[in-house]
Amino acid sequence: MGASTFFASALPHDVCGSNGLPLTPNSIKILGRFQILKTITHPRLCQYVDITRGKHERLVVAAEHCEKSLEDLLRESKPVSSSRILCIAYEVLQGLQYMNKHGMVHRALSPCNILLDRKGHVKLAKFGLYHMTAQGVDVDFPIGYPSYLAPEVIAQGMVKPSDHTQCEKPLPSGPKSDLWSLGIILFELCMGRKLFQSLEIAERLKFIIMLGCVDDIVTVLAEEHGCLDIIKDLSENIIALLKKCLTFQPSKRPTAEELLHDSLFGEVSSVYPPFHKPAGLFSSSPRCANLTLPEDISQLCKDEDGDYLAERSIEEVYYLWCLAGGDLEKELVNKEIIRSKPPVCTLPNFLLEDGESFGQGRDRSSLLDDTTVTLSLCQLRNRLKDVGGEAFYPLLEDDQSTLSHSNSSNELSAAASLPLIIRERDTEYQLNRIVLFDRLLKAYPYKKNQIWREARVDIPPLLRGITWAALLGVEGAIQAKYDAIDKDTPIPTDRQIEVDIPRCHQYDELLSSPEGHAKFRRVLKAWVVSHPDLVYWQGLDSLCAPFLYLNFNNEALAYACMSAFIPKYLYNFFLKDNSHVIQEYLTVFSQMIAFHDPELSNHLNEIGFIPDLYAIPWFLTMFTHVFPLHKIFHLWDTLLLGNSSFPFCIGVAILQQLRDRLLANGFNECILLFSDLPEIDIERCVRESINLFRWTPKSATYRQYAQPPRQASESNGTRSSMSCFSADYQEAPRSDLSRDSIKLDDLKAEVSPRISAEDLIDLCELTGPSHSKTPVKKTKSSKPKLLVVDIRNSEDFNRGHISGSINVPFASAFTAEGDLVQCPATATLQSFKGRVVVIVGNAVKNTAAFAAHLVKNKYPRVCILDGGINKIKPTGLLTVPSPQI
Amino acid sequence: MTSRGAARPNGQSQASKICQFKLVLLGESAVGKSSLVLRFVKGQFHEYQESTIGAAFLTQSVCLDDTTVKFEIWDTAGQERYHSLAPMYYRGAQAAIVVYDITNQETFARAKTWVKELQRQASPSIVIALAGNKADLASKRMVEYEEAQAYADDNSLLFMETSAKTAMNVNDLFLAIAKKLPKSEPQSTSGAAGRSRGVDLHEQSQQNKSQCCSN
Repeated sequence: MGASTFFASALPHDVCGSNGLPLTPNSIKILGRFQILKTITHPRLCQYVDITRGKHERLVVAAEHCEKSLEDLLRESKPVSSSRILCIAYEVLQGLQYMNKHGMVHRALSPCNILLDRKGHVKLAKFGLYHMTAQGVDVDFPIGYPSYLAPEVIAQGMVKPSDHTQCEKPLPSGPKSDLWSLGIILFELCMGRKLFQSLEIAERLKFIIMLGCVDDIVTVLAEEHGCLDIIKDLSENIIALLKKCLTFQPSKRPTAEELLHDSLFGEVSSVYPPFHKPAGLFSSSPRCANLTLPEDISQLCKDEDGDYLAERSIEEVYYLWCLAGGDLEKELVNKEIIRSKPPVCTLPNFLLEDGESFGQGRDRSSLLDDTTVTLSLCQLRNRLKDVGGEAFYPLLEDDQSTLSHSNSSNELSAAASLPLIIRERDTEYQLNRIVLFDRLLKAYPYKKNQIWREARVDIPPLLRGITWAALLGVEGAIQAKYDAIDKDTPIPTDRQIEVDIPRCHQYDELLSSPEGHAKFRRVLKAWVVSHPDLVYWQGLDSLCAPFLYLNFNNEALAYACMSAFIPKYLYNFFLKDNSHVIQEYLTVFSQMIAFHDPELSNHLNEIGFIPDLYAIPWFLTMFTHVFPLHKIFHLWDTLLLGNSSFPFCIGVAILQQLRDRLLANGFNECILLFSDLPEIDIERCVRESINLFRWTPKSATYRQYAQPPRQASESNGTRSSMSCFSADYQEAPRSDLSRDSIKLDDLKAEVSPRISAEDLIDLCELTGPSHSKTPVKKTKSSKPKLLVVDIRNSEDFNRGHISGSINVPFASAFTAEGDLVQCPATATLQSFKGRVVVIVGNAVKNTAAFAAHLVKNKYPRVCILDGGINKIKPTGLLTVPSPQI
Repeated sequence: MTSRGAARPNGQSQASKICQFKLVLLGESAVGKSSLVLRFVKGQFHEYQESTIGAAFLTQSVCLDDTTVKFEIWDTAGQERYHSLAPMYYRGAQAAIVVYDITNQETFARAKTWVKELQRQASPSIVIALAGNKADLASKRMVEYEEAQAYADDNSLLFMETSAKTAMNVNDLFLAIAKKLPKSEPQSTSGAAGRSRGVDLHEQSQQNKSQCCSN
């Protein structure tokens, strides 16, 4: 792995784009364009890994690197054998062909960036520089080496117009320019020496241009360098190859693709098996299509003390290297690639008011440093020296995982209890998590349940994007589906999308890059176009942001995740007329506040601080409009494990975190607090939401406008095995004991949520009539979960009531001031304060009023039985006292 | 161009009278409503001011002679779809600023429809100001000053071209509104005004509120 650095050209100060916004720094543009390079994976190309921005538009690139290059071969100063040259040529062409297929041109091919790996195979380096700098537009240095530049490149001119407003870009070089460079390099290898060494750069360029006038370029070059005799001895194949590459007219020069299939490689090509890109996780083709096993499987088990780290992908190794304290810029400083002058020496001589400075011109020679510094893995290996081999190959089928309890796995389980922030920075812990998730995800969807289970512990940030996709159940031919959507035809929503994107999470480098904007646009348009029944509401952009950020190089996956997320958590929120959905949602939220925090609820209601005023952006964007990305990630890691009512708990948890300030203040201060939301501790928020969720009876968050249960065909067995946290109340089969929908106005009038008879029976642990005729508590648990308060008059109560319930007749329960009347029954009620209290009665109005009184008296967790006692009667679960006398 | 000295907002009130007014900002999205408020309230400007969903609320006071005028500002979402929420913000507002972007003719047309709606539905005594924002982008101008001024005159609106970026005319606009607002009854405590400010979703919910308060 290596790192290299260069500078993007600085923009003039105080110049604005046509939209009045400041221009995007070139380094950001490059950073955005760089991302796609990470997906260019080929054995003949150095894998790009990362790019970081430094001060003054500096960029540092991390990529696969080998110490040796063709430069070393040339340094030996002897001709390279013909067969070797053919192989090198073939391998370089393979690399070039693959690049071309992805629309890229190397442009700067030279012996120093044709690297040789340990087995002597070619790996092209620096192949992305031309692409990421927009064909050199964003940098102030020329890309390419004078000796190897194709004549047409020289003819177009290398010098950039210094005036940025002038948009006369030089025409981008085509893929054939690289063939010329290759020709020169191969020529040099044949000769065993470098060309044009005696010429000044200007002379060199002139000489290359002049080659257009000669018939036989190869001979002329040989003549010029006094090596005609070597040329004569070359095999016909090599001469033919050189001539093809060194064709002056680009139109007559072959492409890499054409040359690879040329007969002169007839023998060589058979040695190289065709390259298959490993199928991605969410591709539609079978992932094992090209899987081959060695004939003798035992070979696989051979290498006992193998270097396990080397078997991980370079992306993972780099990630871990960073966790182990690796710092690209520091490495470059250590090797004196980055030299910093003392600040006092860099002060400008003259400064304008707008920040433009004069004097202290940039040293142009430092704009590009061609050296690549090898990143040492020592520190990382040292950190991981105690990690056993089994950590790299965890057994997935082994449920207890107690079989091999090595030291490190003990430490590991201890680490799992540390705060998330520490776990995410722990090299060894992340290694274990990444390896585990990587293996599980490779077996997705087969291993879906286990992914869910592990995600409950935590999700390794490196694999968050695909883990989320797995949690959202994304499957199938997502790329084909995405490609089929028309993202180009103008639609009326375009203007809105256009004005929203440059305002959405723009503190982030990726999302603020032009590449990011283009991707944003496409994914959002794709969603709008493919959901004709729904429309673009402002906020959808924020919702898209986390998915796009995590799947920056896979728009189709970002789109698929968003499309799976919305029906699950925001069903019908994006209807053109969504007011009934939102109103119901906010009403349920109000009830949740009252249920969990009556004191706060009372206060907020008193000052008229209703959720409509602050919670719409929370829920409509699932908090993506109110939190920065890093907080959203942690929040959603848990949200995705919960069902569609989990967001209510998050909302309540946020309110509770600001509880003291809200309670102490009036309307204006409260609303101001939310217009500029203060720092929220997300880990605490997540913890508290989970706790709140556990205390919420499932049916309490019933919404009639929630997503209807899915078709039986769709919800196949896998879903049911997920825990109750993730299953939706709506998905359970409906029965007579389920909740009935009520009118929105009625719902709004009730302070406390209703729960279904089903839930009540479940929570009371009442046994069904099938078991025995007299209902009894199944288990004598020490603490009953809840108290049922029957508010009918005592006669009705005595005729039959729910086992364990107490009778507090509504008529005599409260004083005129609204306080509870003291009596034995209310004493019991008081002793239950804090646990779930279910109000049961005949008339809805009375139960709701009773519950409202309890909330006023700061009773938490009060709910009412939907349908009242009549719902329970047919079940035969009522206790009928045996006739007395 | 900026005239900050004249009416420094948030000046310590030695004034005897404090008046509170509810002010609402309306206009097409991305014309700079939030930026105008942010400039007025905090003296800040963010190039990448995020979009407003639902509405945001801020307060700021200006001093006028012996009176302190406290604005309770509702900054609304611009997207047409959020239109249905707008009435709950402008209902009961004593002042409104309708904003358009001088570099975009469509936003001016949208501003006109907002003015019409306010004239029809809002309180009859509401003070409406028209603000042509992004005046710093004069080179990209699509809406002529005279055209907007004439429209404002016809509809008796306050009118100014503003720039949240350079702060041009931002305070002056709020000051002009403050001057035009009736300051007849002194409101010494905010409690009395408290009921009427807030936001009423529907008249009905307003009733609910008063009911539960009386309990």
